[in-house]
Amino acid sequence: MEEPLEFTGETVDAAIAAGLEQLGVKPGDVLVEVLEEPSRGVFGIGARPARVRLKLMRPPVSEPEREPSPESVAPSASAEAPTSAEDAPRVVADVSPEDADNAGAIARSVLLELLDKMNIRGQVTVEDATDDDQPVTLNIEGADAHMLIGRRGDTLNSLQYITRLIVSKRLGRRANIIIDADGYKSSRVDRLEQLAQRMADQAIETGRVVALEPMPANERRIIHMTLRGRDDVETRSSGEGDGRKVTIVPL
Amino acid sequence: MEKDLVQYIAENLVNEPDKVRVRSRRARDSVIVQLNVARADMGRVIGKQGRVANAIRSLLKVAGQKNDTRVILDID
Repeated sequence: MEEPLEFTGETVDAAIAAGLEQLGVKPGDVLVEVLEEPSRGVFGIGARPARVRLKLMRPPVSEPEREPSPESVAPSASAEAPTSAEDAPRVVADVSPEDADNAGAIARSVLLELLDKMNIRGQVTVEDATDDDQPVTLNIEGADAHMLIGRRGDTLNSLQYITRLIVSKRLGRRANIIIDADGYKSSRVDRLEQLAQRMADQAIETGRVVALEPMPANERRIIHMTLRGRDDVETRSSGEGDGRKVTIVPL
Repeated sequence: MEKDLVQYIAENLVNEPDKVRVRSRRARDSVIVQLNVARADMGRVIGKQGRVANAIRSLLKVAGQKNDTRVILDID
């Protein structure tokens, strides 16, 4: 069998797995060429399947078979998406060692996998970290993205936590990942900064302490940081647990 | 499906993915997903003060929303 054979599947891995099964060979026995990525990040209807070409090699070589170019970080992420356990885990392991340490690509493939299994349709864009101390930000967009926010961003934080755990385990180090949906978190920062200034002005005008509604720690921090530059007010946190809130004191 | 979500998360958090077992059954308007992992991996799927388990539950809630199902996660 010299002829290269083409296979399709929901993901690149699924297409490869289908091919391997039909040919009755192991991942190490074929050369994989990804002809087409599945239509990126769109789930369900309208999605184009992944197309791969498998070429049988005579002696199984232990070189990594697929060569996603190191540049194509985002698209190759879905190529690495490890699907279910049945999907030839060796293929996943063999794929591009040079991409293995790319937190953004791994995070994206993990997140896409989670969303798919949650039945959420959406696209994921990655904003890679400029340096190692900076977090990688993944933003989910699409018709269902709003379902992922939850009360005060609770669901988003759960999704972020699980993704972080999985990616950290895979990388063998702590991964700093932020997950956003429809820009909720980034626009929340803007809104909180405006709120902080407005409430500080109100505290000055009325000469009274202004208490904001309870907020999670990261949001309280934004208020504190925003008003740190003002010398006419002081901020404090009070209350416990879910009820902890910022108060603005006029000086 | 709810079951696949739990399976995927559990397999990627534990040290012994082969020992992950997920079963689900329907009970009226809810789905009960039962997760079993190796003893030594229990902490990895539950987390400190149940943080991991609760995060999984919150994702299951979203997964169930589309078809109006309540999803209950049991870990043992």
